Amino acid sequence: MAELILQALYSGLLNGGVYALMAIGLALSFGTMRVINLAHGELVLLAAYMAYVVESRLDLSPLAAIPLAMAVACAGSALVYLLVARIRKNRELNSLMLSFAIGIIITNAVLLIWSGDIHSTGSVSLQEAVQLGSLYSMRSELYGFLASLVLVTLLWQWLAKSWYGRAVRAVSSQRDAAKLMGINPAKTELISFLVAGLLAGCAGVALYSSSVIQPSLGHALTVKAFIITVLAGVGSVPGVLAASVLLGITEALTVTLWSSAVQELAGMLLFLLVLFVLPNGLFGAARRRA
Amino acid sequence: MLELANVTVQFGGLSAVKDVSLRMGSDEMVGLVGPNGAGKTTLFNVISGLVKPIHGRVLFDGVDVMHEPDYKRARLGLGRTFQIPQPMHELTVRENLVVAQRFGAGRVDAARIDEILELLQLTEQAGRDAATGLALQELKRLEVAKALATEPKLLLLDEVLAGLETQGKRLFMEKLREVHARYRIGILIIEHDIETISSLCPRVVVLDFGQIIADGTPQQVFNDPAVIRSYTGVEHA
Ligand SMILES: Nc1ncnc2c1ncn2[C@@H]1O[C@H](COP(=O)(O)OP(=O)(O)OP(=O)(O)O)[C@@H](O)[C@H]1O
Ligand SMILES: [Mg+2]
Repeated sequence: MAELILQALYSGLLNGGVYALMAIGLALSFGTMRVINLAHGELVLLAAYMAYVVESRLDLSPLAAIPLAMAVACAGSALVYLLVARIRKNRELNSLMLSFAIGIIITNAVLLIWSGDIHSTGSVSLQEAVQLGSLYSMRSELYGFLASLVLVTLLWQWLAKSWYGRAVRAVSSQRDAAKLMGINPAKTELISFLVAGLLAGCAGVALYSSSVIQPSLGHALTVKAFIITVLAGVGSVPGVLAASVLLGITEALTVTLWSSAVQELAGMLLFLLVLFVLPNGLFGAARRRA
Repeated sequence: MLELANVTVQFGGLSAVKDVSLRMGSDEMVGLVGPNGAGKTTLFNVISGLVKPIHGRVLFDGVDVMHEPDYKRARLGLGRTFQIPQPMHELTVRENLVVAQRFGAGRVDAARIDEILELLQLTEQAGRDAATGLALQELKRLEVAKALATEPKLLLLDEVLAGLETQGKRLFMEKLREVHARYRIGILIIEHDIETISSLCPRVVVLDFGQIIADGTPQQVFNDPAVIRSYTGVEHA
């Protein structure tokens, strides 16, 4: 039993890394624009299908699809931004409907182009078991996790040190004050959506490499990213990373101890728990005052 | 170098600012006073570009800035503080200034940041989190420091002295005089307290119900019957 639990913790940790890639993007774009991109998970899905296309059509490793997946997710993210930015009235609310609709369009387009079949990588080397002590994972899961750590660290550094990373944090903090410091809010928002797209692209490839994809998955991914953002309480990259790992582990433990049928429910329960017990999120209490 | 011409702002049925015209030079320190709700902050919002007037123009350095968005006006040299401090709470105190300088002034000059921190007595707090690490007084000084970091030609200060006790107020006024003299920038300052504004500003403009009802030396303005009426009217309201 203890071994099973340890294994679940390990699998959950690895999954959590990939979740972080999706959630950080959502949190960034929400931070600057105060808009929840409900098509974010669908962008990740679209990126995953790029990996599928590259593998099945070009007979290449799914990893070779990373540039294409990034480009497609970035373009999609930028499109969402451009459309949302055009909303003049009631942006917070109307953007929900708009991005939700974009998500549905993407899901249906995927269904139309690639059918409703499930797909997963055929790469033997990616699916190979890798042992770490007594713990097992697929090689792709380990790759995905390590890639996530690298990307999240890079992003953290970017937010901390680069000018536009700082601008993103400034606009997220106080929009009006940031503008009167000379920061162009539109440019900053677009950059946050582009970065979200880059991360979503990588997350999509990681997803395809280590699990199965199908058209309706995007929606579930959006929900996961949203749950994590609320868990983290917005604001800090380490917070989102920790919340992602927490969700990954919760899901894995639920599957191990209960049933895979309730995996999604576990995330929801975690979400409700935090919502009512820690309304500022797990890590948001100290950071957000205003 | 700041010129407002017939500025009118309407919020629904309310005229918050009515046909306001005002000129001030770059070497001036002007007080803007008036009862609560007179439209002082709204006027600042018009100048900095956060609120669009339904009528009128704003000229800065002889240039019509009506079509410049808020962030470009900041780059042109309009610095501004908020009545309720708005620190960038995801950044440290120092980062607040560094970002303001980079985007507002278009350059990076650490020595100047140090100087501003020193001037506003924030050197010790420089590494702190702007949201959680500061007391209200420090937040107010950070507002001014942030605005100064954009290297403005004109500084709009919205009640930076309110809520300070006498000693703190005196010190802060000293700082403002120093800022005015050292950086040779114009200052337009909103302040309720007549005594404070009289000792700080050679020129005072009084706004009431969105209109300018007096403009002159503190002596002239505070002896003006219309001003006395508006002030006492509020006091007894
Ligand atoms: N965004 C807004 N929408 C609607 N009404 C507004 C808005 N901003 C200000 N007002 C109204 O405009 C009037 C002027 O407000 P303003 O904040 O400019 O006054 P003020 O002179 O700065 O007052 P105070 O001394 O209290 O700061 C008030 O009646 C206020 O309620
Ligand atoms: Mg005001």
